[in-house]
Amino acid sequence: MASLSASDGEALSASASKGSRMRWINWIWHIRGEVPLPSDQTSEEAFARLDPLFAHTGTTHARMGDMVRVMKRDQLAQDPLSVVDSGTLCIEPAEQGGVLRYDLVSRALLYCFLAPLLFLAVGQLTVFLGSLEKPKSEEKAKKDEAKKDKKGEIQLNPVDKFLGAPAPEKPKDDKKDAKDKKKDGEREKDGFSPTPAYVFAGIFAALWVLGRLLEPWLIRRLFQRTLAE
Amino acid sequence: MDGIRVGKRIVGTQSPVTIGWENIPKVEGGPLKRLFFSWFQPAVFFGMIAFWYYAPNSIAKASTAIGIGIGFRVILQILELTNPRHKSWQITWKELATDLFYVGVSATMVNLAENYIGSDVAIEAIQGSLHLEKFAWFTGLPLLLQAFLIIFIFDFGQYWMHRGMHNWYPLWLPHSVHHYITQLNVHKGAVGNPVELFLIGLGIGGLFDFLPRAFLLAGAIGMSVGAYQHINVRFNSPRWWRWTFNTTEHHSLHHSQDFESTRSNYANTFIFIDRMFGTCIDGEAELLGMEGGRRMSIREQMLYPFTEGWKAYKERKSREPFFDDHSAVPAE
Repeated sequence: MASLSASDGEALSASASKGSRMRWINWIWHIRGEVPLPSDQTSEEAFARLDPLFAHTGTTHARMGDMVRVMKRDQLAQDPLSVVDSGTLCIEPAEQGGVLRYDLVSRALLYCFLAPLLFLAVGQLTVFLGSLEKPKSEEKAKKDEAKKDKKGEIQLNPVDKFLGAPAPEKPKDDKKDAKDKKKDGEREKDGFSPTPAYVFAGIFAALWVLGRLLEPWLIRRLFQRTLAE
Repeated sequence: MDGIRVGKRIVGTQSPVTIGWENIPKVEGGPLKRLFFSWFQPAVFFGMIAFWYYAPNSIAKASTAIGIGIGFRVILQILELTNPRHKSWQITWKELATDLFYVGVSATMVNLAENYIGSDVAIEAIQGSLHLEKFAWFTGLPLLLQAFLIIFIFDFGQYWMHRGMHNWYPLWLPHSVHHYITQLNVHKGAVGNPVELFLIGLGIGGLFDFLPRAFLLAGAIGMSVGAYQHINVRFNSPRWWRWTFNTTEHHSLHHSQDFESTRSNYANTFIFIDRMFGTCIDGEAELLGMEGGRRMSIREQMLYPFTEGWKAYKERKSREPFFDDHSAVPAE
């Protein structure tokens, strides 16, 4: 066995401390857990039962003793481990038989966690671009007003009158128009509303919470059922 | 696989498809369940028309339409969870998150970009130069006729754009990634390369200054038909519905792994446009996608049209001078 030099030792301890620091944040996209093996089940038997889980399209795995390393690429939607991109599963001895410990990495969880930031940035960009476009939209509003004057009132077809459809609104006066614009938000009309971006930021924050709770539970249940079969 | 002859073509040689309404399974279960899944689509359709026809002006606004649209999608999502058409299309957390990302991109970034490029700008320019106020006569037509014409004109444009995408390589490239979806779910309509959304928007509809109410009616009709295109729910759609409108069955065939089947059912709302031009096939498929059902990541979906386009350009350039290719075979 080769001995470690002082610099190797420092590098290793630095990497270990970086690893422990990463544990503070990598729970965001890591799925960790353990499932006790049924009594009298050996690691050979346990891995034989888990094997079909690694037979899905895009999955590669390598076993080293009591540890399996899994890698996935373009996993199908119905793959029971579709949320996982890589990870390790190992069987360790416990007080009563053995225990399956797993540490799985999910890029989907990470991207879902980061998605709100992306949509918040898009919201901010929308506000910024909207402020640049404001003079143009004022010009457009003047043009629209001129157009409206030309067009006059729209008549409802006699068929619709007979069927009782509400008559179209008459052209509004300037004061009411200005009031309505304030109410509806001028920017929304101009296609520079940040609201959808903020809504999607919220949706992805909620989705991450849902995924962080649901996926570990589903994976634990999958391993429990597979080992007990 | 032997395949099935439909008119002049043979479909289902590469992956299984079901052809003919008599061969398509019906919703099974108690009388109430069958009643619900037989009448849900027509009830929503006529309910929407009645609502937008009679709603007072204070309610008949775009914000109401957006609210109804979101509510309707939530209901359809619940139906998918509780009554999946195929287990192999079951929605998962990852699929939902992926689909909603595309919906988000479409509702924010694509909308923002459309302020500068795309159909909105083109329509504004055409309106400005052609003085389309002359089409104000249109607003005097009965509301439902206006709404029908709005959808029909838009759908007619979309039909040819979509058919063009399946027949001309530069247009196929941005559309191709949408065909990598391996299952149908309620938000799957948004999955694809953002470039495609600009192309799809370039219909010839929206040029006229219609009554807003007719627009809202058209939007509601479009929503209560189009929302079922990508959905994992089985309905016993009435015969007249299946003849007139695009259905999940039609669209599943369009997304089949069988190449010949994908070259059918192009219209967005009115399947009778496909019937008019001989591209309609009544049937369904469960195995969907490209390359044997390979699932494409978001990253690849965003880059694929450009990387493949560049590869094709280089390959073609190395073969012979650009406009000297006499080996081209007509697509149809």
